[in-house]
Amino acid sequence: MNTAFMLIMIFLPIVFGAVLPAFGKKHKLRNGFVTAVLAIELALAIYFAVCGGFSMKLWSFTDQISIGFANDGPARFFSLLFAAVWLPVGIYGFVYMKHEGWETRFYSFYMMVEGALIGMACSSNLVSMYIFFEVVTLTSLPMVLHSLKKEAINASLKYLFYSIAGAFMALLGILFLSRYCTTLDFAPGGTLDFAAMAGKEKLLLAIIFIGVMGFGVKAGMYPLHGWLPTAHPVAPSPASAVLSGIITKSGVIGIFRIIYYIVGAQFLRGTWVQYTWLILAMLTIVMGSAMAYREKVFKKRLAYSTVSQVSYVLLGIFMLTGAGVVGSLLHVVFHAAAKVGLFLVAGTVIFATGRTKVEELRGAFKEVPLLGWCFTFVALALIGIPPLSGFVSKWYLATAALSSGLGVICWIAPVVLLVSALLTAGYLLPITVRGFFPGADYAPEKRAPRLKDVHGGAVLGVMHVVFAALSVALGVFSGSLVTVFSNIANTLF
Amino acid sequence: MPWKLVLGVCILLPVVMGFVMYACKNKIEPRINRWACVTVFIEAALVWWAVLCCPGDTYTLFSLTEGITLVLRFDGLGRFFAGLIATLWPLTTIYAFGYMAHQPRKGMFYAFFVMSFGVTAGVAMAGNLLTMYVFYELLTLSTLPLVMHEMDTKAVRAGRIYLVMCVGGAAFGFAAMVFFQTTGCSLEFILGGNLSEFTAGKHVTVFMFILGFFGFGVKTAVFPLYFWLISASVAPTPVTALLHAVAVVKAGAFGVIRLIYYVCGTQLLSGTWGQYVVLAAALVTMLFGSSMAVKETHFKRRVAYCTVSNLSYILMGAAMMSPVGMAAAIMHILCHAVSKILAFFCVGAVLETTHLQYIADMEGMGRKMPVTFATYTVAALSLTGIPPLCGFFSKWNLLTAMVEAGNAAGLIAAAVLIICAFLSAIYMLSVMVRAFFMPGKNTGAGIIEADKRMLVPMVIIAVGVILIGIFASDFMTLANNIATGLI
Amino acid sequence: MTEFFINFPCFSIILALLASAVSTLLGKSAARRLTIIVCALIFCASLCTLYHVVCAGESVTYMMGHFPAPFGNEIRFGIFECIMAATFSLVMVLCVIGGAGSVIERIGGFRQNLYYIMADLALASLLALTYTNDIFTGYVFVEICTVAACGLLAARNSGKSISAAMRYMIFSLIGSGLLVLGIIFLYGITGHLLFPQLKESVASLWASGQYRIPLTAALCLLTIGPAIKSGLFPFHLWMPDTYSTALPGSAGILSGIISKGYIVFMMKLVFQVFGTEIFFESGISLIFLVFGICAMIFGSVGAIRAKSISRMNAYSSAAQIGYIYMGMGISAEIGMLAAALHIICHAVTKSAVFLSSGELIRVSGGKSDFFSLQGAGHRAKLAGVVFTVGAMSMVGIPLTMGFITKIYFARAGITADGMTLAVLLALAVSTVLNVVYFLKTMIRIYTPQKVGSQEHIVTGAPKGKMLAFSGLVLTVLNICLGLHCEPLVQLLRRGIEMI
Repeated sequence: MNTAFMLIMIFLPIVFGAVLPAFGKKHKLRNGFVTAVLAIELALAIYFAVCGGFSMKLWSFTDQISIGFANDGPARFFSLLFAAVWLPVGIYGFVYMKHEGWETRFYSFYMMVEGALIGMACSSNLVSMYIFFEVVTLTSLPMVLHSLKKEAINASLKYLFYSIAGAFMALLGILFLSRYCTTLDFAPGGTLDFAAMAGKEKLLLAIIFIGVMGFGVKAGMYPLHGWLPTAHPVAPSPASAVLSGIITKSGVIGIFRIIYYIVGAQFLRGTWVQYTWLILAMLTIVMGSAMAYREKVFKKRLAYSTVSQVSYVLLGIFMLTGAGVVGSLLHVVFHAAAKVGLFLVAGTVIFATGRTKVEELRGAFKEVPLLGWCFTFVALALIGIPPLSGFVSKWYLATAALSSGLGVICWIAPVVLLVSALLTAGYLLPITVRGFFPGADYAPEKRAPRLKDVHGGAVLGVMHVVFAALSVALGVFSGSLVTVFSNIANTLF
Repeated sequence: MPWKLVLGVCILLPVVMGFVMYACKNKIEPRINRWACVTVFIEAALVWWAVLCCPGDTYTLFSLTEGITLVLRFDGLGRFFAGLIATLWPLTTIYAFGYMAHQPRKGMFYAFFVMSFGVTAGVAMAGNLLTMYVFYELLTLSTLPLVMHEMDTKAVRAGRIYLVMCVGGAAFGFAAMVFFQTTGCSLEFILGGNLSEFTAGKHVTVFMFILGFFGFGVKTAVFPLYFWLISASVAPTPVTALLHAVAVVKAGAFGVIRLIYYVCGTQLLSGTWGQYVVLAAALVTMLFGSSMAVKETHFKRRVAYCTVSNLSYILMGAAMMSPVGMAAAIMHILCHAVSKILAFFCVGAVLETTHLQYIADMEGMGRKMPVTFATYTVAALSLTGIPPLCGFFSKWNLLTAMVEAGNAAGLIAAAVLIICAFLSAIYMLSVMVRAFFMPGKNTGAGIIEADKRMLVPMVIIAVGVILIGIFASDFMTLANNIATGLI
Repeated sequence: MTEFFINFPCFSIILALLASAVSTLLGKSAARRLTIIVCALIFCASLCTLYHVVCAGESVTYMMGHFPAPFGNEIRFGIFECIMAATFSLVMVLCVIGGAGSVIERIGGFRQNLYYIMADLALASLLALTYTNDIFTGYVFVEICTVAACGLLAARNSGKSISAAMRYMIFSLIGSGLLVLGIIFLYGITGHLLFPQLKESVASLWASGQYRIPLTAALCLLTIGPAIKSGLFPFHLWMPDTYSTALPGSAGILSGIISKGYIVFMMKLVFQVFGTEIFFESGISLIFLVFGICAMIFGSVGAIRAKSISRMNAYSSAAQIGYIYMGMGISAEIGMLAAALHIICHAVTKSAVFLSSGELIRVSGGKSDFFSLQGAGHRAKLAGVVFTVGAMSMVGIPLTMGFITKIYFARAGITADGMTLAVLLALAVSTVLNVVYFLKTMIRIYTPQKVGSQEHIVTGAPKGKMLAFSGLVLTVLNICLGLHCEPLVQLLRRGIEMI
């Protein structure tokens, strides 16, 4: 029974996406089915989140390479996250995608990506996860090049090449690990075969470093972040939202699984590899925020913000402590909610007014206050104003750093977090301020239409409220999340 | 069962039929398809029968002169190769019916096309290096008219280069072969090799091995002897696809594996400078081929450069001089054969249907020729090494072989392989993106999907690429059994 | 019964001489027929003698007219000599048959007679060179051979061919001069002219260390003389002009057998006068090896640069002669075997190549440049096939005779101390070069003509069937020997042991 549900959860969207073009011009019917499938996904994800753990093996390509799924802690958490975000963004898209066109193609791949992402989250071994990782890259590619404009094509190729390069780096790591691990199946605490790797520790460390950097490409980690600010903004807004909020997390899953479920924190703790990762992560945090601060295009600014925020998550993972893991998992959720919320706002602005630059947003919120309020709450959450969600995760990350015993990094990390938070405030809050208070000389040629005047505007409004509410509520009621994540973290050490 | 006769017929039937078809090409030109079809299918059935049922005995044909004896023997590797070509040849024949429909000189084309089937079967069945060498040379000659089919200046130039490089290269292989025979190393194919000690001095022997490697390696387009393959892409696509992605170049790879594992043996060679030279040559070729493919803007030549690079994956596996390496090389022979023939078929389908040659022209073609480009996508993904297509598994095996080696050479090789895999993503997938997602310049209504006779083999092979990936474990067991001598 | 066969060599020489004498009296086609019949008879006779020698298992010394030396004249033949004689007569008869058409076409009236006289004379002298056991007789026939060859060259009455014949004459006479000097030296030292006696005294002198320098000089002269005459690098420069202006048949005879006659004579000198030990001790062998390799390379380079098919063939002959000398320079056993095999291979192949290129040129409007030759293989189908097989054999493609000799050269090369790599690489490089020019030409003759270029009007060749016959025989022989060469190789091996 569970097996069937699991297979449905993973392959239903993929198959459904593949047959979606069969709907032809019946847009309503298509939207209905899409909603239904997204809802089924969410229901199944919830079902798996509450039911007991189980694992299954789908197919063995060879004795080392197999596709298998399991329902362990991270799998439940990530698949629920993905399904939960996919449904509202999908509904938002029904309205938004009308002006982009090619909706069938968009939804086709949108569904496939969901299946692949959930498959990745639920994979029970490294190779299986790698396979779905590749599928995520390939199926999300058409979302980036959706508009088929020259810049979109170039951006998508950049995305493709970075991702494939990362994937192959990861593959190299996986390959070496397959040689030096007892099994490639995930096991909390790692499966390193210490007998086999005796004398090869240095080599293995280097290879693990490369492998993790490979997954880090998807997470936008410095120095391989270059594709992210190019690719995310050119996609249609719902796509940018999931690309930034969710698909970057596929890299996080990869890193998380390799470090904690294959290699084991023990082996890495205190090595040059860990320090390099930490430094890179902190560098990315500051650099991403700084770039976002300088950026003039709204969606690009958000993309740089993603570069910075995902590295918060990575920073927590690289600390190799329980608190770090809790902090980073929390930040996965909060960043997902906040960033999707922000991109949806950007999307609605484009949808309604066609404005893309930050300075063009001047006065926009005055005209559409709901948008402004939603944006403000989400932005505050991302900056980390207590008691909103971002604050909780940053708090955990900072305390984890202080207690990590990593020498000077104990102190640098909180400072970095603080600086980045200030920069975040610097690049988000002025938008709010200028949006609500455009100044006396503000006299737009054309006012933005109010949401209720836009066709389907109600749907857009609801979705904005949903994400704003999530950003607030998750922070306020973060206690249960912390418990869940602590349970996951406890198994790892 | 007089298997000697059957094997003899396997080789002679197409050759004789080829001569007959050539001799009466004017008379049977209208019915040439039927002739070719019947011959190829009978031959394929015969070869498969031999592959499955023939015992592994040695059949001596006759001797050219003292110590130079033509011998046939079907061992695991030979069966594998024979099975591969006997599967792909009929499919290519069907494809050729579609492709060649509007081409002149069909009689000559099919005559030599059929003839080279027999010669390739001979390469697969050869029981010693000499026999293989003989068929090797004949393969060059029987495929030459196919390369030059167009008979324009470019084609003739390509033919000349092809001939000079392959026959000339074989001359070096010849020197090595006679050297090995004279210094007491039997030329019989025995897994593990015949070379038990360096009777003629270590360095001379290793040097001769390298000479042999490059001699036989010309056919696998090892750097710097690669450019015949590129220029030969002027040939009609069935030829490029089958011969220059499967039969000829794989015969080269096959020859190198024979030389390393069956004649010289890895016992003595592994760890010598010979191994490193061979490995370095393979790695340089891989990088070079991939980079050139990225640079190339001509669609067919890009795929040809991809072949250059991929062939050296096989050589790299072979150069690891371990059973794992050999198994990986064999697996890549299979996977690359099916993927690359498919890629070339797609290139050819576009070329023949629309006469568009350059990658820039492919923009938007994916919507005009959906089946063609769907199969191209399968091929491209497989060549890039995206799971669960078969190319992923052969790459995995190769990498495993490198990791098993565990030394610096293995590490460098693994890194190079990863880089090449990345480059192959760039040059293969970008075409796919262009074809499907770029708005096309060629919006004319004239562009239609390719002939059905081309599409059917393409779809069959695309399904094959996927199935080989899904049932990879069986094929890997097969490769391992060949490499460990169980088959 | 086979005892009678030992008279045949002597008869053959006399028969050939007689035929040349009689030809002067006959009409042109009668002369041709006589020549063909005589050559064929001689071929059969050589086979009979071969049969006898093989059965007897030892070589035979035959005194002409049963007078002992110095009054009579001795000939001596073993398996080696008989095989060579058979080869020479066979190639001669095929060249005469195949070349008949071009002789009729190009040589006016009564001069045709002269042509066949010269052919008979050439065969007589070749046989004599092969069989002789007397160094002076050898010299006499070397000169006769030279004259006959010049006659064959000059038969075509054009300025070019006469000047080519003159050039050939000059080179050839230099060679003869050196040869006669060598003979004088040797006679002066030893006082003998017959091979067995010469060998005895040379061996004892060499062992005693006396006259070391004159002996070495004599050896040099006696080997370099024939080497110049057969066109060893760097004395091959007469070849291109000579062969390219000669009739196809003459070129086949000259390149295929006359140049080989000198080599056979020299091999006999080396074996039967000096002995292989002295030959290899004196360092001459090394000169052969080095110049042989140079010839292989430079000959082929010349062929690549050649602008016409006939010059290409000529340069290729120079290269092939290099193979033979290289083989001789390597060792007395396998090296000589390879060289002897290559003499046969080259005789069979090159005559076919010359004959077929003659036909290809004819169907291309008499022009021999490569551009005009385009598509010639389609215009003259059989000639195209013959040329193709010949070219493959020269390159050394398996299943042709050239492959077999290449194997033996390589095997010989591996036994060469210190020169293994040089020989093997030279072989390989030379093969590459051969491919470049021979197979390029092969491709060229099958390439369709450019649209708009001048159409060649193909007329039936005079005596076309005869050409086809000899071309086919040579080709079939080539392939048969390529498929199964073992008996010939074993015979030659025994033959070389015998001399």
